[in-house]
Amino acid sequence: MKSLNFARIALGAYLLIFFSYLLGPLVVMSMTAFNSASFPSVSPWACFTFEWYEVLWNDTAIRDGIYYSVIIGLGTVALSVSMGLAASIVLTQVWPRIRSTYYTLIIAPILVPGVVLGISTLVFWDRLGTFLGASDGSAVYSLFHNGIFLTILGQSAFIASYCMLVFVARLQRFDPGLTEAALDLGATHTQAFRKILLPFMRPAIASAAVLAFLASFENYNTTTFTIVKYKTLTTVLAQKVRLGINPSISSLAFIIILLTIFGALVFEAVARNKARKEQIKLGRTEEKKGGILPAFMQGNPAAFGFVLLSFIVIVMVGTAQKYDPSQCKIDVREAKKAEAAARMKELREQRLIQDQSDARQGPDIFGAPKTEPEAGQGSGTGAFGNVFDPGNLSDEKAPKSGTGAFGGVFDPTNLDETAPSE
Amino acid sequence: MKKKMIFSEFFRNNGIVMGSLLFGLVSFWLIFLVILPQISMLDFSFRYNLPPAEQGGPKDVYTLSNYEHLLYGSDSTHQTYNTVDLMVFVRTIIAAMFVTVFNILLCYPMAYFLGQSRGSGFVRLLVVLLIIPYWINEILRAFALKIIFGDSGLLNEVLMFLHLTPQPIDFIRADIALYAGLGYAYILLMLFPMYNVIESLDRNQIEAARDMGASWIRIHRRIVIPHAKPGIASGSTMVFMLSAGALAAPQILGGPSSLWFTQLVYQWFNDSLNWQQGAAYAIVLLISTISIVLVMMKIFRVNMGDIGK
Repeated sequence: MKSLNFARIALGAYLLIFFSYLLGPLVVMSMTAFNSASFPSVSPWACFTFEWYEVLWNDTAIRDGIYYSVIIGLGTVALSVSMGLAASIVLTQVWPRIRSTYYTLIIAPILVPGVVLGISTLVFWDRLGTFLGASDGSAVYSLFHNGIFLTILGQSAFIASYCMLVFVARLQRFDPGLTEAALDLGATHTQAFRKILLPFMRPAIASAAVLAFLASFENYNTTTFTIVKYKTLTTVLAQKVRLGINPSISSLAFIIILLTIFGALVFEAVARNKARKEQIKLGRTEEKKGGILPAFMQGNPAAFGFVLLSFIVIVMVGTAQKYDPSQCKIDVREAKKAEAAARMKELREQRLIQDQSDARQGPDIFGAPKTEPEAGQGSGTGAFGNVFDPGNLSDEKAPKSGTGAFGGVFDPTNLDETAPSE
Repeated sequence: MKKKMIFSEFFRNNGIVMGSLLFGLVSFWLIFLVILPQISMLDFSFRYNLPPAEQGGPKDVYTLSNYEHLLYGSDSTHQTYNTVDLMVFVRTIIAAMFVTVFNILLCYPMAYFLGQSRGSGFVRLLVVLLIIPYWINEILRAFALKIIFGDSGLLNEVLMFLHLTPQPIDFIRADIALYAGLGYAYILLMLFPMYNVIESLDRNQIEAARDMGASWIRIHRRIVIPHAKPGIASGSTMVFMLSAGALAAPQILGGPSSLWFTQLVYQWFNDSLNWQQGAAYAIVLLISTISIVLVMMKIFRVNMGDIGK
């Protein structure tokens, strides 16, 4: 019994560590999106703010990057889904003896480092252009050096393998007898493919398309070589993260995280709803009526979570329109100033003590400097006394250290008037 | 003769239109996107970096100089080794292996837990939680770790608050941030293949072993791990190849004084504009990582067909 408890505690601790390693960084990053400090951090916390979303919205580089990422993503989806589907159909028919070689060949692009794929695509099309005699400025040359064209090809080379894996899993459950029956009844091969196989593969095609789009959208290693002149979202982000950053990237990350959670919840909710309806149809469970929740949320925590999250987001966007952190920011600035001033004072006191010990032997010690530390910040008699009007300076708490060694020489009597400036 | 038979059968099974469409798509993929690019990169890596005017001229001949550069550096007498680049290479490979082992150890209990406690809502929630970081951009994940491991990052703040360290620890320079980032980036590619195979393990086998008095360690060593081997192999291959070929995490989280091998390739391409040299380095990376994977698969007796399941 004791060992069972111990195992349970160990398991809990392990789960905690695992999930904080996995999700902790994302949570921290999301929090930095709401901190007004200009460097992304959670501590010290300055002010709660939505300003980074505005910065993000006005960032044209990111907007352009998203635009090109979407174009490239759509191209990659079209190319890699069709290639992956073709490859998986061929896999079911290929001669058994070359089957494993063929499988190795179509799975290999997943294992090739993305950097290598990007370089080889870039080099190959450049060489092919030279081989075909395309001169600088011709249409073929500009196509073969076009970042969007190259990136779609480079990414499809390995994303098609992912799609292929999705299709192979689905094809295993396909009954070839159906196609044969269609052919026996006089359908052409194209008709049989369109009417039999394609409808059967539709769910797999949908999930492969989503997978391909996301893989293309977040790809960096291949894209960074093949993109040439253009910029995708990932290359823009990489550049920003490498060269100094502000929290607007965190706000982008937070938006992406929210979208992911939304996607996951919708997917889960739809799946559960379907399962429940199936159960009702089969008569295993009865439709519960008269709960507080609407029907589609009954026994469906994912749907409930979805509605809750939408509500929170709407409230947040609403607050963002009204909320103004400027007062808090002024406070923070004041606090910072006070802190800086306190540090300054400390420094000044140290220097003063040093000065005094230096000046003790000198002729121009009037006692005034000794009282100055008590007077707070107004310690400033510049090296030239009142020439620069130290009284004004001390009002601004500007950094002004030191009673010069010649402080009182020019006008010793004035010292007593200006020093207690408060 | 035999080949012809396959082709005619293929077209008879699929019809001329569908047959040529399927065949055309697959061959376009394999020939134009995979095989020819690799061959042209290999060819390119054996050439000199010439100005465009001299390409195809008498000076455009094959050479080993790009590979010699990795071994000996710019020293043409071959007296001293190019220790800087070689060290980067060795470090990359060893660190990628280390990351792989770390991920195996971290993921195995999780995969076992998720795989064996099927059905409950809690486990379903955990799986959904696991998938979320998977869809976040690789750059953003590296950025998140940078916020935590930075000089004035959260971890340093916490350590200093608890008085565990008097001044900030430079995690970035010590490469701790890099290893954590690489492990973080690919952890799910290790977890899910393992989870899939362990889920298919019949629980009765474990029950039977326990009834017959097998110890906890013995159950894992004799039943679970042999069953999970294809998943572990598949996950390890993915993690090793991706970490050795990673570019974003080293660029963002790597220390200023230490480079990753892919960063050298990147520098040859984008900073020095010496594509031939970069291609040679990329070939070295590709061949060495693939041969390490193949050797490991031989040692642990795993088939290529298990990868990707």
